[in-house]
Amino acid sequence: MPRVFITGLGFVTSIGNDAATVAGNLRALRHGFEIYPPFQKPDIACKVVGTIKGFFTDSVDPEDWTWPPAYEIKRETIRSMAPHGLFAHCAFLQAIADARLDEADISNRSTGLFAASAGSPMLTYYHHDRLLKLGPSRSSPLGIVASIVGTLNFNLVAAFRIQGASTGFSSACASSAHAMAYAFEEISLGRQGRMFVVGGEDGNRDAILPFAGMRTLSLQTDPDIASRPFDAARDGFVGTGGGVVVVLESEAEVARRGVAPYCELVGWGQASDGYNVAISHPDGTGSRMAMENALASTGIAAADVDYVNAHATSTLIGDVSEARALKSVFGANGAGPPISSTKALTGHGLSLAGVMEAGFCALAMREAFIPGSAHISNLDPACEGLNIIRSTIAGAPRTVLKNSSGFGGANVAIILRGT
Amino acid sequence: MSEIAQSPGSSNKPFPLGAKPFAPDDEAALREALKRCSPSTFEAAVQFRKTGNADHMPAVVIGVIERFVEPDLRAKLKDADDDLRLIEDLGIDSLTMMEIVILVEDVLQLTISNDELRNLRTVGDVKTFIDCKIRGLPLPRPTKFLPIEHIGAVMPVQPPFLFLNEASVSSTGANGKYKITGQEFFLQGHFKDNPVMPASIMLEALGQLAVLFLLEGAPTEPGKAIGANTIYFTGCEGVRAHRMCKPGDLLTLSIKPKRMKMPLATFEGAIRVGQEKAVIAEDITLTFAYVESVVAPAVVNGAAQPLSESENGANPPLRVAINA
Repeated sequence: MPRVFITGLGFVTSIGNDAATVAGNLRALRHGFEIYPPFQKPDIACKVVGTIKGFFTDSVDPEDWTWPPAYEIKRETIRSMAPHGLFAHCAFLQAIADARLDEADISNRSTGLFAASAGSPMLTYYHHDRLLKLGPSRSSPLGIVASIVGTLNFNLVAAFRIQGASTGFSSACASSAHAMAYAFEEISLGRQGRMFVVGGEDGNRDAILPFAGMRTLSLQTDPDIASRPFDAARDGFVGTGGGVVVVLESEAEVARRGVAPYCELVGWGQASDGYNVAISHPDGTGSRMAMENALASTGIAAADVDYVNAHATSTLIGDVSEARALKSVFGANGAGPPISSTKALTGHGLSLAGVMEAGFCALAMREAFIPGSAHISNLDPACEGLNIIRSTIAGAPRTVLKNSSGFGGANVAIILRGT
Repeated sequence: MSEIAQSPGSSNKPFPLGAKPFAPDDEAALREALKRCSPSTFEAAVQFRKTGNADHMPAVVIGVIERFVEPDLRAKLKDADDDLRLIEDLGIDSLTMMEIVILVEDVLQLTISNDELRNLRTVGDVKTFIDCKIRGLPLPRPTKFLPIEHIGAVMPVQPPFLFLNEASVSSTGANGKYKITGQEFFLQGHFKDNPVMPASIMLEALGQLAVLFLLEGAPTEPGKAIGANTIYFTGCEGVRAHRMCKPGDLLTLSIKPKRMKMPLATFEGAIRVGQEKAVIAEDITLTFAYVESVVAPAVVNGAAQPLSESENGANPPLRVAINA
C-alpha cells in the first residue's frame, strides 16, 4: 500500500494568509477575532467573527471583490466563484508553490481534488431572490455554480485543469476531514498519485448567522475571550471562514520529485453517534470509536500519540462530549498526550475546519512546536484529567491525532506522523 | 420592462417608441447596469433609450462586449471589423455570451431567445441582429464559416487554382483568407527570382469568393439554386493594385454584392494584408443561372441528417454546455 505524505500547504485564514504568519500566530497564540460590523445590530446578539483580512468579498458581484495583489485572477475565473472559492483559489496557489509543483504535475489523470464547503448562502439567496423576482431570463447563468454545495470543487477543478478524481464532501464540520481521509484512500489504493484537499467557507453574515438561530454562537463581545474551548465559562463558538489547501502525495511521487514532506498521513478512522441530528452524544461515543478505529487501522498505540488537535469548538455540550471520548481512549491506557483546540485562535471554520487544523498540525510538526489551547482561565471540571495544554510547547510532536465532528454525529480522526 | 420580460422571446416587435418615457430612475438604473462600461457606452445607451434611434445601438453593443472581454484582448475590439469572431478572437464562451445578452437586454429593453443567440458568431452578427430586433426587421441568416474542406466540396474551381483557405459567408457578403505559400506554380515564373502574386490572380481570388457567395449566401427563389457550373466571369472595372504581395503574406479578402439580377451579379471587392490595402475592385461581374434545387440528405458521422447549420463544421457558439 503506497504511503501518503503532506507536501504542500496553503492558508487563507483568520490568523493569517500564508504559512509563516499562521505558524507565528499559532505559536504565539494570537487570535484572529474582530468585532464584525454586519453583526452590530440590536437584533443580532453575537458580535465577534474570525475575519479574513486583506480580502473584500461582501458584494454579491465578484467583480467588486478585492484580494491581495500577489494573486493574479481573471474575471472569467472569479465570476463563477463564491467568496470561499476566492480564498481557496489563493490558498491553492500557495500550496502549488509550497509543494513545488509545475503545470504538468497538477493537470494529469493521476492528480485529483477533493473539496469541502457548505456552498454560499449569500449567493444562493441573492440568485434565488433574483430568479423569483425578475425571472430566469434576467438571472445569471452562473448563479448555480457560484452558490450550490460543490461550487468549490467545480471552480477549482476547472481553474487548475484537474484531470484526476474530483468530488465534494458534505458532513458539515467533518466535511474536509472526510475529504482528506478519502483523498488518502485514493492514493493508498493506488488510484491517484497526488490529491489536493481543499476546504472553504465564506465566513460572512449569511454563513455564520444561521448558527445564531441554533443558539450555538458565543455572545461574548470581547474578541479576546469569545472562543475558549474547554473553559468553564465558554458559551458557544465563534464563526470563521477562509480557504485551506493541503497537498497529499504518494511515496513514489515524493521520491520522484525529491521534495521534503511535512509529515506522513498514516491513516484515519470514522464512526457515527447515531444519536441526534445536531447534538453530539454526551459520552462522545462516535468520537471515541473514530479515534479507536484510526489507531487500530494504523497500528499505533494510544500511548504513542504525542499531540491531539481537538475538534472542540467552544460549545457547552460538544467540548465535554469530546473530552469524555478522549478520556476513554487515552485515560484508560494511562496516556496523557498534550491536547489543544486551535479554534480558540481561529474560530470554527465549519466545513473548512478539518483540513485547516490538519494543516496547522503539519506546520507545527515542521516548525517544532505544539500550539497551546488559548483563552482558558478556568478549565471545565469535566475536562480535568486530560493534558489540555494552556501554552505552547517547544519541540515537534512525532505522532498527531486530529479530531473532527459534524452534524448527525459524524466523527473522523486522522493520524499524522513525522518523517 | 416586466411585460417585455414576460413575453416569449420569439416576438420581434419594433422598439416601442415613446411607450415609456425615460425617467431619472431609469437613468440611475442604467448607470448602475453599465458601471463597468466606458462612459461613451453609457451615453449611447441614454441616447438610445431617450430617442429609440438605432444609430446609437452599435456603440452600446460594442461597449457591452468590451466590458466582458479580458483586458488584454480589448485592443482587438478597438479597431475590429465586423468579422471579428466572438469565441475564437475574443475568448468569449457561451456563458459570457449570455452575460452579454442579459446586459444588452436590460440596457436596450429587448428580449432575446436562446435560439436566436445560437447563430451569433461575429461582432457583425451581433450588431446586425440587435439592429433587426430594434427595427422590427426579419432576422438575417447567420454567418457561415466554411473550412477548406467545405469550400473544396462546393466550388467548381479546384486546386491548384483555388485561392481561398477559409471563408465566411453571410447574407450581406463574404470574407476569406488566403496565405501565399510561395509554392504556387506560377510564382516560379512571376517573376524570375522574385516571386510576386500576380494582380490578375488576386482578382481571380476575389472572383472565387464571389462564386462562393453565390453558392452559399445569395438569396434564391424557392425550389431553385444557383448552379455551380453556370457561373462565369464577365468583367471588372475600377481595379487598382496598391501593394505588392509576396510569399508569407496573408491575404484578407472581402466582397459585397452591389446588384444581383439574373443572369448578372455585381460585387465590390477588396484585399488587405493586415491593415494595408492591396487590391480594390469597384465592380466584379459574374453571370449565373438557376437550376432546380435538390435537397439531399447530408451524411454526418455515418448517419443521414437534414442539412442544418451545424453541418458547416463549427460548433454553434451558444449551445450552452452545462455539465449538470
